[in-house]
Amino acid sequence: MFGYVRPAAPRLNEEERDRFHSVYCGLCHTLGRRYGFAARFVLNYDFTFLALLLSLGLPATCTCRRCPAHPVKGCGALDGSKALDIAADDSLVLVWWQLQDHIADHGFFGGIPYRIAALFLRRAYRKAAARVPAFDAAVRLHLDELAARERECCASLDAAAEPFAALLAELAAEDEDPVRQRILRQIFYHLGRWIYLVDAADDFSKDAKSKNYNPLRYRYGIDGDVLSEDAKRALGETLDASIRQMAGAYALLDAGGWTAVLDSIFYDSLYGIGKAVLDGVYHKPSRIRRGRKGTRYERSI
Amino acid sequence: MSDPYKVLNISPTATDDEVKHAYRELARKYHPDNYHDNPLADLAQEKMKEINEAYEQIQRQRKSGASASASRTSNGYGYGYSGTQSAGGSAELREVRLAINRGDISTAERLLNACSDRGAEWNFLMGVVCSRRGWLDDAQRYFETACRMDPTNEEYRGAMSMFASRRGYHPEGYRGFGTLSYGDDACMRLCAAWSCCILSGGRCCIC
Repeated sequence: MFGYVRPAAPRLNEEERDRFHSVYCGLCHTLGRRYGFAARFVLNYDFTFLALLLSLGLPATCTCRRCPAHPVKGCGALDGSKALDIAADDSLVLVWWQLQDHIADHGFFGGIPYRIAALFLRRAYRKAAARVPAFDAAVRLHLDELAARERECCASLDAAAEPFAALLAELAAEDEDPVRQRILRQIFYHLGRWIYLVDAADDFSKDAKSKNYNPLRYRYGIDGDVLSEDAKRALGETLDASIRQMAGAYALLDAGGWTAVLDSIFYDSLYGIGKAVLDGVYHKPSRIRRGRKGTRYERSI
Repeated sequence: MSDPYKVLNISPTATDDEVKHAYRELARKYHPDNYHDNPLADLAQEKMKEINEAYEQIQRQRKSGASASASRTSNGYGYGYSGTQSAGGSAELREVRLAINRGDISTAERLLNACSDRGAEWNFLMGVVCSRRGWLDDAQRYFETACRMDPTNEEYRGAMSMFASRRGYHPEGYRGFGTLSYGDDACMRLCAAWSCCILSGGRCCIC
């Protein structure tokens, strides 16, 4: 479900791209430091975005660090931010429960890869859950609600998206500033709603073939395995509504040096990603390259 | 009071036109239309007040010799909206309106769910509750139902058109974006470049 949000790269200059990348590297290092090597593989761009939003206004330094992906030159990584620690803890909890969900969904043989991944992450998850017990409990609760919505074949997009949106909104709970917490809650809620709906559109054909629940099928009453043009139009409008809610909340935050990166996400790339998914041309890159020489980079799950 | 130039994010040497431009841009950003039925409307309202005050203060300072009694400028944008109108049919629904205006959305929802008479007004108020909660697809459906049941009602029509026409704020250079229209515009060839980046995982992709 994760991995959709990323900045609109052509809008950013090299310095701004490196800035965003320093959060990505910073989160990767934090995951490694707190939970060991295997935990680095849970890293993705959505978690980077969450870490970036949580770290706004908090002091942090950027240091050049080496890692298996950048063994010689190293690269700039955000460091020393409490927000990165929290983002790392929360990411592990989220990935763990997502894996459990996949294991439950895929039967014995289909679930083997997820079982293996869970085996590698079990210790890290236990540690993370002990550090953020309230978030762990909230994720469990909301995922149970999500399963209940699926069982009852919920026909309301909002009721179906609510558990996942509320789950992401919980990420804001750690913020100590009450005003910023309210703003972040609103952003995360609509980010969750947007991710859930985009993911539903992305998986529509797959779900139709495997007879899995998909909220769009029941909301728009579609029997086939492709979204009708009317359904796409209605979904596009409701996605826009969530992006506008996020942008409205973001406008109330002081983004400081992150303005260009966050502007490109809230005012551009979310629309572009939604469009690519609705047109069926969105592909999550499984391996991403970086730099002029095309150095292989961290694999994102 | 904080530095008015800082509030408008401009330098004290900015020309009158630059001041006006900065003010208009910020007023567009925090315009009440962008925060209609939004849980953060109070924060946007504070921001708007701050901006209006800063702009007025700069104008006062620049109009040396002019009377200091300059009240709100004619350009000032204000927050007129304050919840739903108090008109209403049954006592139950009046209670719901009061709860909404207090910002007590869960009570409003509880009262609505307990209501047996689900006419146009009920649908309208349910739309407002959904909108506040961020249930935007359901909100639109309730507003549509309210308008269908009572097509002549100004309040419901207003809510519906407000909902449908909401475009939100986009900074300069990001205008006219929407999920469905993304990449249609000739000036948005960036989209094509962007998709290429995603597909090829090339240099300009953030990675």
